[in-house]
Amino acid sequence: MNVIEIEHLTKTYGKNRGVTDVSLKVEEGDIFGFLGPNGAGKSTTIRSMMGFLKFNSGSIRILGMDSVKDREKILANVGYMPSEAWFYDSMKVSEVIAYAADIRGVDCRDEAEMLCERLKVNKNKKIRELSYGNKKKVSIVCAMQHKPKLFIFDEPTGGLDPLMQRSFFELINEYVDKGATCLLSTHVLSEVNKYCRTAAIMREGKLTMLDSPEIDDDEFLKFYEDSEEEA
Amino acid sequence: MKKIFMQELKMNLKTLLIWSLSVGGMGLACILMYQSMEGEMKEMADAFSHMGAFSDAFGMSTLSIATIKGYFATEVGAVHGLGGSMFVSLLGAGILSKEEELHTGEFLFSFPVSRKKIVAAKALCIALMTVLFTVICGALYACGFAALGEELPVKEFMTYMGMQLLMDLEIAGICFAISSVWSKTKTGLALGTALMFYAYDVIGRVVTDVKEYLFIGPFSYANASDIFSGTDISVKAVCFGTALAASCIIFAFMYYDKRDLAS
Repeated sequence: MNVIEIEHLTKTYGKNRGVTDVSLKVEEGDIFGFLGPNGAGKSTTIRSMMGFLKFNSGSIRILGMDSVKDREKILANVGYMPSEAWFYDSMKVSEVIAYAADIRGVDCRDEAEMLCERLKVNKNKKIRELSYGNKKKVSIVCAMQHKPKLFIFDEPTGGLDPLMQRSFFELINEYVDKGATCLLSTHVLSEVNKYCRTAAIMREGKLTMLDSPEIDDDEFLKFYEDSEEEA
Repeated sequence: MKKIFMQELKMNLKTLLIWSLSVGGMGLACILMYQSMEGEMKEMADAFSHMGAFSDAFGMSTLSIATIKGYFATEVGAVHGLGGSMFVSLLGAGILSKEEELHTGEFLFSFPVSRKKIVAAKALCIALMTVLFTVICGALYACGFAALGEELPVKEFMTYMGMQLLMDLEIAGICFAISSVWSKTKTGLALGTALMFYAYDVIGRVVTDVKEYLFIGPFSYANASDIFSGTDISVKAVCFGTALAASCIIFAFMYYDKRDLAS
């Protein structure tokens, strides 16, 4: 079963390109690596999937449902982590985590406790007191605590120390082993090589599926060099 | 939706208290100063009531500021009208756009709640805050009357506070629509809108040609001098204001639901 099915997705920002005719399928149980230089269209694709952007043409189906018509049902089963983790500054970490669970209407206390322990999250601190990396950890807890069927992570490991990065990927593998699926947008080739089962690369708003996630540095960097030359 | 409403309320509680206690406190202070100024007021009232257009603009040709009613209408009326409109304009203008400006939108909009429900929660929060602001200020003004041992003109007072509430809801509705369009909070535009309406009302009461179109501005039906002097409230102005507020809120719902959200 395909958890994500994107067909001919096109999104423009006025006269500027977003993504052009992107088609993509991610199967259940996959850890899908989504590579590409800055401005290639990775975040545009993800933000279209989440319903933050209204795309021009094409269709997106997630968990067998239409991303526009069934947005609420889809989001109930999605754990999303944006590239920048921002929360309401005046709230405490514990309040943010509880707030995220309450809005979803699920009791996630046990799962949240386990995640905070494994990621070493200090729940008593105020959001404004947290470093960039610690905010990212809170974002991971919010994305994982309700045990979603699909994880969408947009550059999740930026700001995390190597130990936390390892814990993060261990958690992903555990959830995927239990039946979840993960789409991972990243610049870090080693993460894709090590953890992803399939991968695609975006460049200039277009998507190319890779035969294998195990690509070498030279081949990978060629996408970036070509992209810079064209820019 | 209830959780989002409660959270929004919690985040804005401090602002509500600061504004309502400041505006209400200034109004209360004005009322308490009445007795100490009462003697000098009689001469001033005579002078002020014969200043032609100026007296008309500030309602001193119809009410004597030497009476508590007239004093309240001209002094506290201006403080509350301006203070309230500035508070609700800032509140309305920031409530949607702040999510994108402070980058919290991706957190909030990744929950399984439709944009319309989120907009509804925020609109309800503005409505409740506006009601609370009016109630707190009204209570402080009533305390002022009680402290002076003056009888509160209940009918006029309730009508005035009710019309001020409607005016504040109209201004908040307009600024709510502004907030739905931009991903940055337009503080200047919001404050400008409130002050422009006030200036329009003052000018409209002086310039004869504009008087006919005074109903367009929300200050026209919420004018303290008119209400306390027993002038009938313009039904046309109330209907226009209500329709404008409703249109702005509907626009905010529709536009915000359709547009791209900035990261």
